[in-house]
Amino acid sequence: MTTVEEPRTAQFVRPDGKEKVTGAGRYTADLNLTGQLVAKFRYADHPHARILRIDATKARALPGVLAVLTHEDVPDVRYGGMVKDRRLFAKEKVRFEGDIVAGVAATTAEIAERAAALIEVDYEPLPAITDYEAAEGDSSALVHPDWESYEAADVLLRAGNRLGYSTIVKGDVDAAMASADVVVKSRFVTDPVQGVPIEPRAVIAQWQGDKVTVWTSTQVPYAARGGIAYTLQIPESHVRVVVPLLGGGFGAKCDFHFEGHVAALALAARRPVKLVFSRREEFFAVGHRREGMVIELETGARADGTLLARRGRLVLDKGAYCGEGGFFAQMAAMHALGPYKIETANIESSLNYSTNQPSSSIRAPTAPQVCWALEQHMDELAEALGMDPVELRRHTLVEEGSMTATGQKLERIAMKETLEKAVELIGYGQELPEDEAIGVAVGWWPCFAANSGAYVKLNGDGSGTIITGAQENGTGAVMAMPKYVAEELGMQPEDFSLLYQDTDAAPSDMGSCGSQTTFNSGRAVIAAAVDLRDQLLDAAADKLEAARDDLELVGGSVRVKGSPEKTVSIADLAGGGTFHGKGSGELPEAPEAPAQGCVGRIGLESFHAPQLIAHAVRVRVDRATGVVRVLQVAAAHDCGRILNRIGADGQVYGGVVMGIGQALSERTQLDEEGRHRNAHLTDYKLVTASDAPQIDVAWIETDTPGAGPKGSKGVGEPPCVPTAGAIANAVAKVIGARVRSLPMTPERVWDASS
Amino acid sequence: VSVSSYVTAASIDEALIALAGGARPVAGGTDLVVGARSGKSTLPESLVAIHCIAELRGVTVSADGLRLGALASHEAICENSDVRAWYSALADACAIVGSHATRAQGTVGGNLMNASPAMETGGPLICLGATVTLRSATGERTIDVADLFTGPGGTVAEPGELLTFIDVPAPAAGTGSAYLRLEYRRQMEIAVVGASALVTVDGGKVTDARIAMTALSPTIRRVPEAEAALVDSDGGAAAIEAAGGAVAAAASPISDVRGSADYRRAMAAVISGRAIERALARARA
Repeated sequence: MTTVEEPRTAQFVRPDGKEKVTGAGRYTADLNLTGQLVAKFRYADHPHARILRIDATKARALPGVLAVLTHEDVPDVRYGGMVKDRRLFAKEKVRFEGDIVAGVAATTAEIAERAAALIEVDYEPLPAITDYEAAEGDSSALVHPDWESYEAADVLLRAGNRLGYSTIVKGDVDAAMASADVVVKSRFVTDPVQGVPIEPRAVIAQWQGDKVTVWTSTQVPYAARGGIAYTLQIPESHVRVVVPLLGGGFGAKCDFHFEGHVAALALAARRPVKLVFSRREEFFAVGHRREGMVIELETGARADGTLLARRGRLVLDKGAYCGEGGFFAQMAAMHALGPYKIETANIESSLNYSTNQPSSSIRAPTAPQVCWALEQHMDELAEALGMDPVELRRHTLVEEGSMTATGQKLERIAMKETLEKAVELIGYGQELPEDEAIGVAVGWWPCFAANSGAYVKLNGDGSGTIITGAQENGTGAVMAMPKYVAEELGMQPEDFSLLYQDTDAAPSDMGSCGSQTTFNSGRAVIAAAVDLRDQLLDAAADKLEAARDDLELVGGSVRVKGSPEKTVSIADLAGGGTFHGKGSGELPEAPEAPAQGCVGRIGLESFHAPQLIAHAVRVRVDRATGVVRVLQVAAAHDCGRILNRIGADGQVYGGVVMGIGQALSERTQLDEEGRHRNAHLTDYKLVTASDAPQIDVAWIETDTPGAGPKGSKGVGEPPCVPTAGAIANAVAKVIGARVRSLPMTPERVWDASS
Repeated sequence: VSVSSYVTAASIDEALIALAGGARPVAGGTDLVVGARSGKSTLPESLVAIHCIAELRGVTVSADGLRLGALASHEAICENSDVRAWYSALADACAIVGSHATRAQGTVGGNLMNASPAMETGGPLICLGATVTLRSATGERTIDVADLFTGPGGTVAEPGELLTFIDVPAPAAGTGSAYLRLEYRRQMEIAVVGASALVTVDGGKVTDARIAMTALSPTIRRVPEAEAALVDSDGGAAAIEAAGGAVAAAASPISDVRGSADYRRAMAAVISGRAIERALARARA
């Protein structure tokens, strides 16, 4: 039986909170360097076109312009995550609205803009390939006609416009489907959405000799450094990336984006160059949004609810370039199974190029959309079976000892417990007004084990400094590190300063993505603290002439256990040596998933220390207008041990509100050629604080095998996963119909109900 | 293009001199500055700031009616309890313009002169029978708000004219009014469909009705067919439905990122019906 304990009350206020709230904090756009120029881009004039000629003569001649760069002026290399398919500046073709043809550095923004407009570009326009489902057909024109020559990860199954393909196959799904008492089929479509960090991105580059320092608003400074070094063909030791305070990312600031362009402009102009995006650019020019998806599901069940067979067909819109989103096909396939016991399965998932804006990781990539579809599909199945949807989930959710469809054995997970807790918190089954209903959805999300490293050093006065490669994107995960170190050393968190945003200082790190900062970087910091602790114990054993094993670190001192008078302060020890610990910790191993028959395996066929999530929501639907208000959300999560209740709750509040936006109002609307029609905050409808419902949070703290430091798992992404699905199920109960397009806008709800 | 001349007027006369010289006025700046920053429109070359003209700030309620200075903020209007009691539709509108910041900074004069077909205050002021004073260096004239708008972003005001005051006659006894809009979210919203209603009831019968639609035609305007459906009726469900249907029929909605024409037309009936219901409830209270 899984151990479920009452939540512990560990909590503290993050140290960077005050500077952010009071406006004292400095973000990248706040920095200014002497002599800096302003960067502007010339974007593609057609979403899809062959470039015939680029002539920058007039732009270069404009007074105040110090550099104009096209593909001819930078090394002839392609970059990208699992497929190297993109150049800093487009060469043969432009492939989406935000493709960059040229960059300009000038003394003022106005001059830079004029110069960008003066660049003459001749195109042969090509038909846009916006229908990513049709794009996988044999007759479709190719977004990348020469894709076979691109450098790419071998594990990807590429063909035509397909960048990735992945299947999960278990048993004889045809036979099982044929034997089912009830079979339900559903098709769902989702619109693209955006991360929308409130801080638009900013980059400043300054060269000194052959070395460049780049200040940038990124979630992944080491990936940014790698991208600069690769695209400019210089060693990583010549590139230093510094991240000032980051004003949100939500995944959109993962990956290398514009640091290379700005560094190249600064090199050419021989002056520092600064790029600050407008809100419009933050929408259309960033090759990094949540993908649109087509999701077809079919499930066969026995009359008692047992899931006999699941077929799934998923088609994902990759957009024009791979970026860091090459893993999406398999990730989406895993979410089409969900945290359920299923006897047979056949899921196929395609990640297709199109000439739309590229998609990459936004908070829990692929999961919210697939979960929204699957959880509606499960409610449809419950209806067909004549079962209560919660009862069906009680019967079919994974539990301790369950085997997933990919053959992973699950141990000590509290999936069912989160369901029970969410249902209890929302008051499932209560009598409600006729325009209100409660919907329930569940989901899962893996932990990502990755290398990390950290240093902890003591200063002469006994205070200390933590040096980590982790990046703080606003979750507070990095801000918690002084607490972990202080606990190991018997000191106070306030005793430590924190250096976390400088690639020259710390070992490389995955960055703030995949809910993995505490999981990996926290592990490394604790290991470094333990190393330092050993050094302090050795030194104190010498000084106190005591056996090392008899010593303990308490209250800023090392003392002999049981003899409090035999003590030496850490400050005294620090003055006599250069104490510095380093560590990485032991990388947890991914669980095995030995299933045969799956293709396109890229390592996500097992979910490492999965986070389990159940959300129950109560909504009110105005049937006449289709307007949905979310009144209450009960969120129960098994994210392992909670290390900071305030921070963890905050992730749920934010994730739920983001989930409500993606459920009801957020979408990027494209014209027939794939151009943004609402690249601004007036008509890209984020929900506001006034729309936020009551949110009740419960943590089911389980000791999960393979968990991170102190038994923790990830926290940041899961709250985004089942929110839309739970809202969809509640809406369907009120209107008696399914909304099969995401977001479920008032017009779509009204359409479905009338 | 950046602003080459910016002056702050201390009085109406100073402002009028600047306007006569070709300057454009700026008060709260919530449309002008935001529009320029988002690339929607460029800033005028010459600006005269009128926000310091104290006599244009007032919200004054008397037995004759309501007088608003052009600089009255949305916040100042909707926090006035007399406005809420007697000019409810206007208070409804001012309470939901933009965000808290927009309402504190934005002015009713600016809202009118920006002449957006989706503006909040236009419909209520038309139904309440409001007039505006347009003053120039050479004189002034008074016109009905109903005659102010010529199209999206356009008014009958000449370049040298400044909107100085808005006068609203006191409503007849037994009158209630309301403004409602379709909202996708609770703050920072722009009307996809809006409706204003003013009704006067006497002894269980509707004796006067004025219904205006917002964001459903190139300018905000009254819908006589809807008004006719209500006048002399009992203000019951059938009359309200007929009036809502008349608004939908009169609407010329567009399809855009905020909604399709079909949806807007259907919502025209729903929202105007609800505005009428609320106005009737207030009239009867």
